[in-house]
Amino acid sequence: MNIEVRLYATLRERAPAEAELGVFAAALPAGSTVGDLLPSINIPVAEVQMIMVNGIGRELDTVLQDSDRVGLFPPVGGG
Amino acid sequence: MTQENAVRMLESGTIPARYQKNIGTIGVDGQLLLLKAKVAVVGAGGLGGNIIELLTRQGVGFLRIIDGDCFAGHNLNRQLLATERNLGMNKAEAAVRRIADVNSDVVAEAVPQMLDENNAAEFLAGIEVVMDALDSLSARRLLARTARALKIPMIHGAIGGFTGRVTTLLPEGGADLEKLFPDNSGEVKGIESILGNPATTPALTAALQVQEAVKVITGIGEPLDRQMLYFDTQFNLFEVLRLK
Repeated sequence: MNIEVRLYATLRERAPAEAELGVFAAALPAGSTVGDLLPSINIPVAEVQMIMVNGIGRELDTVLQDSDRVGLFPPVGGG
Repeated sequence: MTQENAVRMLESGTIPARYQKNIGTIGVDGQLLLLKAKVAVVGAGGLGGNIIELLTRQGVGFLRIIDGDCFAGHNLNRQLLATERNLGMNKAEAAVRRIADVNSDVVAEAVPQMLDENNAAEFLAGIEVVMDALDSLSARRLLARTARALKIPMIHGAIGGFTGRVTTLLPEGGADLEKLFPDNSGEVKGIESILGNPATTPALTAALQVQEAVKVITGIGEPLDRQMLYFDTQFNLFEVLRLK
């Protein structure tokens, strides 16, 4: 299945060179979770604070479906 | 003017000049609710300075400003209350002076101390809405836990680089506070530790936070309850994400 990945802020630096604005496609075996996706796109779990699947907050163990949009956000804590 | 006079005028149908441009959006009833509201601002730095300015001009009647820190040169790029003249001054004390200069209807109280486990409940006593203008996720966790225990809505904002985020934590909203505010005192730092905080991001985030407070206090509009507004001005992204 194919997942659309959207990386935000500093995570964008980890996107493949051809990705525009941190958005790119990732191919995964059916039944994969967000936790499976992260190592496959070289994103350390520790750098991700919020996970959104189709705009809704989800967890590492969320099972993905074909064409899901996965947004990954780093921690933001300044004031 | 005094707050008492402003309230009396509004109740008798006369709008004080300073609130005339507010009335079209919030009405006389909304302005009265704001003048009678008690709001705490925790942190008077980048977010806090802008938040305090806007709450003061919008006409929120009581502001308790909590910050134990003093202004330093590296605050001048973004902290509205920091000036070349007041470097070294406590931020909460500087805020109260600014409030008095801008709107004498506002009763302001400076608490020149940092929020901690021992004083948090005391500092938020009698408060109706608390503005999160802290600078670490760990400190926000303490504030969020305290606000929830006291059933006080908390307006969260955080910034780093071109990015800001805002959400409104209502007492009944049930947000997962451990997840929203992870312990970032260890290896996992916020992006602000790399990207810093330029001038515009705190102002933009603070404006959104104050709008949330106005909505919560007046009951007008739809607050970001169980929703996170996230923006990245580098690429013109403004997204509203649903928190579970």
